[in-house]
Amino acid sequence: MQARVILSISIVGLGLIIAAVPQNTTHPYKLTVSQLLEEAKGRQQFFSPDELADKLINKDPSVQLIDVRDQDDFEKFSLPGAINIPLTDLLNDKWKDILDQDVKMNIFYSNGSIEANEAWMITRQLGYNNLFVLEGGLNYWVETIMNPQKPASTAPNEELARYDFRQAAGSALGGGGAIQLAAPADQGRGAKPALIKKPGKKKASGGC
Amino acid sequence: MGPLVVNGIISENTNLLLAFIIGIGFGFVLESSGFSSSRKLAGVFYGYDMVVLKVFFTAAITAMLGMLFLSLFGWLDLDLVYVNPTYLSSAIIGGVVMGAGFIIGGFCPGTSFAGASIGKIDAMVFIGGLFIGVIIFSEGYPLWDNLYMAAFKGSPKLSESLGLSDGLAALGIILAAIGMFYVAEWAEKKFPREEY
Repeated sequence: MQARVILSISIVGLGLIIAAVPQNTTHPYKLTVSQLLEEAKGRQQFFSPDELADKLINKDPSVQLIDVRDQDDFEKFSLPGAINIPLTDLLNDKWKDILDQDVKMNIFYSNGSIEANEAWMITRQLGYNNLFVLEGGLNYWVETIMNPQKPASTAPNEELARYDFRQAAGSALGGGGAIQLAAPADQGRGAKPALIKKPGKKKASGGC
Repeated sequence: MGPLVVNGIISENTNLLLAFIIGIGFGFVLESSGFSSSRKLAGVFYGYDMVVLKVFFTAAITAMLGMLFLSLFGWLDLDLVYVNPTYLSSAIIGGVVMGAGFIIGGFCPGTSFAGASIGKIDAMVFIGGLFIGVIIFSEGYPLWDNLYMAAFKGSPKLSESLGLSDGLAALGIILAAIGMFYVAEWAEKKFPREEY
């Protein structure tokens, strides 16, 4: 047989095999370790309590809070609208639709920020997008939004304005800041965090 | 085992070395198929020599099959492979300009360097023209910025546009390529040219 006929037949044979086998759609890792380190170093994932409070008061529909503590803690106290995905259950298939999406901003929180950060790293490593971590976790949330400390009267105006905002936000969200203040809830803060985009891949040039 | 490069089974440096070896192999095939001759390249247009078509399509289907099989074994994550984004109007206009240059000059960028390296003067002239083109394009960039960026289509794959699985699309391309090879050989017999 001619060489070209043999070659044609073998290439078509390989083509038939590849057409017949199911496509491999498992993607064990989407980010390289150094890419992840780069993101973690940039602290892009952190969402400040003030930004979050602003979004919660405005009932921003793009926010999806995810509580990664266990169920007991979640039932005792949780942020408005949060859902409970305990860290130990993170890889359960039933959460995949919530975690792997491109519409909402998923904000993880825990008591501090360690567990939330762990959840962020794992899900980022899986290649999911739009994931954030509440900076300082619930502890910092309570400290800043629920029980803000009144700054000294000599403090700069921005600090006083931030205090007013936190007081108002705290009482609107059911916190301990009991005194009602009609402070406007916007101080130009809550600037939308830029959605995390995958770092641009290197351009490769092809052709002959 | 996961993607070989990402998981460090093939290190970054080994990866570059492999690319170097594959590149030399590709250059060797180009040269040994006679691609450093401008008549060979122009032959595709006139139909008397279809080697260029055969070599490049063979390279394409070999790479395609290789990548699909590596992905099947889990050694390569196809989502991590960079796909050139498609800008439709600049692709069409650029294709026409490059095609015209191909016929007039008898080289494509890669083969002109292959030709120049074995001392062909027409290849060196071609490289000069290539740099003039590069300078005109980059210095005049504001003029064609809009055109260049028009009709952005992302990085679509043929299989996605046709709604087929990657494997089926690959089989279709292989069949089309082999069909083309036989048509090409028929054309070579139909438009023969002596002594070129």
